Amino acid sequence: MTNFAQQVLEEVTRIPGVRGALLVSEDDGLIVAEALMEGVDGPAVAALAASLTGRLGRATRALGKAAPVLLHLQATGGAVFSAAGGEGLLLVAVTAADVNAGLVRLSLLDAAGRLS
Amino acid sequence: MRAIEPWVEGPLTTFLTESSARLVLLMTSAGQVIAQHGFTRSLDVMAAAALGAGIVASTGELAKLLGPSPFGALVHQGTNQAVFLAPFTTPRGRWIGLVVYGKETSLGLIQLFFNRMVEDLSQSAPVEHARRAVLAENFEHELNASLRALFGR
Amino acid sequence: MSLVNFAAREITCKLVYYGPGRSGKTSNLQYIHGRVPEARRGRMVSLATESDRTLFFDFLPLELGTISGFTTRFQLYTVPGQVYYNATRRLVLQGADGVVFVADSQARRFDDNLESFQNLQENLLEQGIDVRSLPTVLQYNKQDLPAELVLTPADLEDALNFRSVPSFSADALHGSGVFETLKALSALVLKRLAAGNSGESV
Repeated sequence: MTNFAQQVLEEVTRIPGVRGALLVSEDDGLIVAEALMEGVDGPAVAALAASLTGRLGRATRALGKAAPVLLHLQATGGAVFSAAGGEGLLLVAVTAADVNAGLVRLSLLDAAGRLS
Repeated sequence: MRAIEPWVEGPLTTFLTESSARLVLLMTSAGQVIAQHGFTRSLDVMAAAALGAGIVASTGELAKLLGPSPFGALVHQGTNQAVFLAPFTTPRGRWIGLVVYGKETSLGLIQLFFNRMVEDLSQSAPVEHARRAVLAENFEHELNASLRALFGR
Repeated sequence: MSLVNFAAREITCKLVYYGPGRSGKTSNLQYIHGRVPEARRGRMVSLATESDRTLFFDFLPLELGTISGFTTRFQLYTVPGQVYYNATRRLVLQGADGVVFVADSQARRFDDNLESFQNLQENLLEQGIDVRSLPTVLQYNKQDLPAELVLTPADLEDALNFRSVPSFSADALHGSGVFETLKALSALVLKRLAAGNSGESV
């Protein structure tokens, strides 16, 4: 699993502008596997992505909707994408601000599908 | 929140706000309370500190038996809440943090903001000043009165 | 080391009951716990084996009241007495402000007392503390047992009290000598604090 996960993460990082990809445990916000560029704070991204996904999931469930499949947080300096990646896991990508967001989404959803 | 040393309050408040922890206790490695948030009885805090310091001390000894590198944080996951226990170094000596958190946050967030608090504490610690004499010379009279009151004799 | 909070005017001291296995360290704490008003004490925590022998430590926090304007708290700990629990004893002893050595007065436990007393000195030395500089009180426990079974306080004094520290005969199970012992150690610890030889903080 770990080797396969590593391979999937590295594929995501091949997209220009992606600075790192992580597999994160949704419940505790910890890194399960990672492929990160120098300078990316992996533990912080993992904790943030899991927290956002968890909160958003609770909010949508409270509205009677299913949990979101993909989350895209756009900031001035970059973006974070997070997709459900199988049993209790999240697939997360950290990117530059001007990344091809469509390509990242496709790649993450494809990778998430392969992992689950 | 209560802190023995006022400079601890800033970093601890930031940690509480950002991590959404329920209870926090900072103590020395000998189990003396430095600061706490969320406990209701000061005497219960002392028992929690004694037990927390005991756990860190005993896992530390266990780590020594098992290998050269010491353990970092210790997490005990319960059904509704979890306990995070971690020793760290400050300019004022070795301290321990005990954090109780629930489902509203995660271990990742606790760990992340705990590490930031440890950095903040290191930066805000004042240079140790000279010790001062604490008690008035005639304290013995008051001590005897207190002991009589305490033990009823 | 005593923790002194000048801002909130609080003092917290750690007192450790040391001695051989089954000498009555836990009994001291249990008696104190039973007699001190509830508002002035916390929960007594005992980490014991199924047969009620201390495995790690017992812990009892006490609020002494206000002394020289400082709210004063004591944390009472016991160590496990059995010889093989030395690692645990060292941990509990860390940062102690004062020690009560609880000796078992029974003649057949004489050697155990000596061994434990020596062990106390070794463990303190390992932490860089000279036993002569640490407030210490001796308690000769179980003096209520039949005279033919126990050594007299004078005998025990000769064997253990070469520093002439305060010493008390006791029957910890029923409480005799328990408060006297604690009172004497409290006074020594606070006197040392008053002299400015101990204490940490703002």
